[in-house]
Amino acid sequence: MAGLSTRRSDNKTVTFGDAAAVTSLPFWGLLGVITLFGVWFLTTTAFGFPSELEEKYNAAAETKAIEKAEAAGEPVDFDRLSDRELFVECQRDGDNCNNKTSYTQVVSSLSFPSIPDTIGAAQELFTDGYQNFSIWEHTWASLWRVLRGMFWGSVVGIPVGLSMGLSSRARGFFDPLVEGFRPIPPLALLSLFVLTFGIGDKAAVPLLIFASLWIMIIAARAGVRNASLAKVRASYSLGASKSQLLRKVLIPNALPEIFTGLRVALGVSWGTLVAAELTGVQDGLGAMISQAKNFSRLDIIVVGIVIIALIGVLMDGFIRFLESILIPWQGKG
Amino acid sequence: MRALSVKNLEMVYEVPKGDPVHALSNINFDLKGGRLLTLLGPSGCGKTTLLNIIAGFLGPTEGEVYLGDEKITGPSEDRGMVFQQGALFEWLNVSKNISFGPRMAGVKKSVYLPEVERLLDTVGLSGFGDKQIYELSGGMQQRVALARCLANDPDMMLMDEPLGALDALTREKMQSLILNLWNETGKSIVMVTHSVEEALLLGDKVFVMAPRPGRIEKVYELPFAVRALSEDPREIKKGADFQEVKEEILSFIWEMEEEIMGREEA
Repeated sequence: MAGLSTRRSDNKTVTFGDAAAVTSLPFWGLLGVITLFGVWFLTTTAFGFPSELEEKYNAAAETKAIEKAEAAGEPVDFDRLSDRELFVECQRDGDNCNNKTSYTQVVSSLSFPSIPDTIGAAQELFTDGYQNFSIWEHTWASLWRVLRGMFWGSVVGIPVGLSMGLSSRARGFFDPLVEGFRPIPPLALLSLFVLTFGIGDKAAVPLLIFASLWIMIIAARAGVRNASLAKVRASYSLGASKSQLLRKVLIPNALPEIFTGLRVALGVSWGTLVAAELTGVQDGLGAMISQAKNFSRLDIIVVGIVIIALIGVLMDGFIRFLESILIPWQGKG
Repeated sequence: MRALSVKNLEMVYEVPKGDPVHALSNINFDLKGGRLLTLLGPSGCGKTTLLNIIAGFLGPTEGEVYLGDEKITGPSEDRGMVFQQGALFEWLNVSKNISFGPRMAGVKKSVYLPEVERLLDTVGLSGFGDKQIYELSGGMQQRVALARCLANDPDMMLMDEPLGALDALTREKMQSLILNLWNETGKSIVMVTHSVEEALLLGDKVFVMAPRPGRIEKVYELPFAVRALSEDPREIKKGADFQEVKEEILSFIWEMEEEIMGREEA
């Protein structure tokens, strides 16, 4: 009929709940990120401490630190930890360093880094590196640790989880261990791991394995338990043996849960990284952040955080890409 | 096709903190090879339990089930099963689902591939072999389930409400498909259904079962299944003879349901 408007086939009348929330729109994602940076800009840069004043103030603090050191009869080298501390101490005595600098200005110079500060720190990191390692070496060191942790966590965790899903004996045996170990914060185990395994990577990697192990066990177990009784029975009446049932039915059927586990483990592993790199390793983003903390280099901390966030997003995107290839049926039942 | 014989079957479920449930009591029957038996009855009458015992998924408390001379002790590829839904393997495409049984038995690709093509044709899915399961409608998925079951060339096909999740029109088409498969393959079929109409049209033998304890209350030998192979099933359903049996069974089941409700209220 003339004048009748054609309805688009994707016109939704239900716009609340799952029906509306299955797909996310890239525009809104972008808006979320812009909002975050906007808030950062407004609170630190637009209304924050003017950077030229801060430089003046820092110069004054540096002079004060040198004076203080010379009075004690020692040369000052700001790359040395104790001298850096001296500098920071002089910054804190704001009023003594520079009479024009007020207390609030001192505090704001030590508060959340502004966007220009962070960009400056990023430039410094990308050209000079930090603490004798380039930023790429730091990043790769952390990435390699996280990957090793997740790999061994999965290699051990998935079979244990599968066995728990399949046998009540295995479930009985492992259940108290899993539930007991799972809530322990990796940071609490730090010293024990260093004493047991040694300093550096010898303790850092086991700590990351510890972080992902329980997640992978629970994911694999849930995957097996999710297999419908109908699928198991159908397999048997089609002539499958027990081992065929496991390999051809239960493991593929558990893939969606295992991938969900990998995504959760990924987040938790990066979240454990700073703790894991307190084990005496020199390289790595977590180590970089801890050292920057000692020198009050908040801008470097923020750069480290941003890099971790970016890698996290990229790796999650990669796992999602694998999901779309390996388990295309997910969510389409 | 081997005959099925069920002897003195008793099934009692132990319920924690409650009286044991007598799911099946004194079930005895023989079913010649190539018959189509439908099981009908109110919920809780044990029809699915009976089917699961024949399939070998459950062991009876007492009694035996034989297929030919062979005692049934567990699931086997000579008794294929079709479920209501959710039993297909989503990670395999249509062809691989159908060839699952032969592949588990180590049959060569050159042997099972032509067989898969033939089965796709039989169930009306020619050209759908490479499709993924989630791309198919509910009716098409049940066609895959039927083909997968047939791929093992079983003596017997067991069906647990295979059409229960389908819309009315698709259901009618699938009823005709099942009748044609039954006619062409000559296999025995035992089918559980909730629909009286479906049970009467498809079953050349119908058991109406009653609950507490689960038992076979009435046995019908009906001509409609054979007639539906050559006549229009819709016309058969309209016929006075069909309607008469349907009313008789409906009022019988109705009375049983009333009785159950009354007993629970008391």
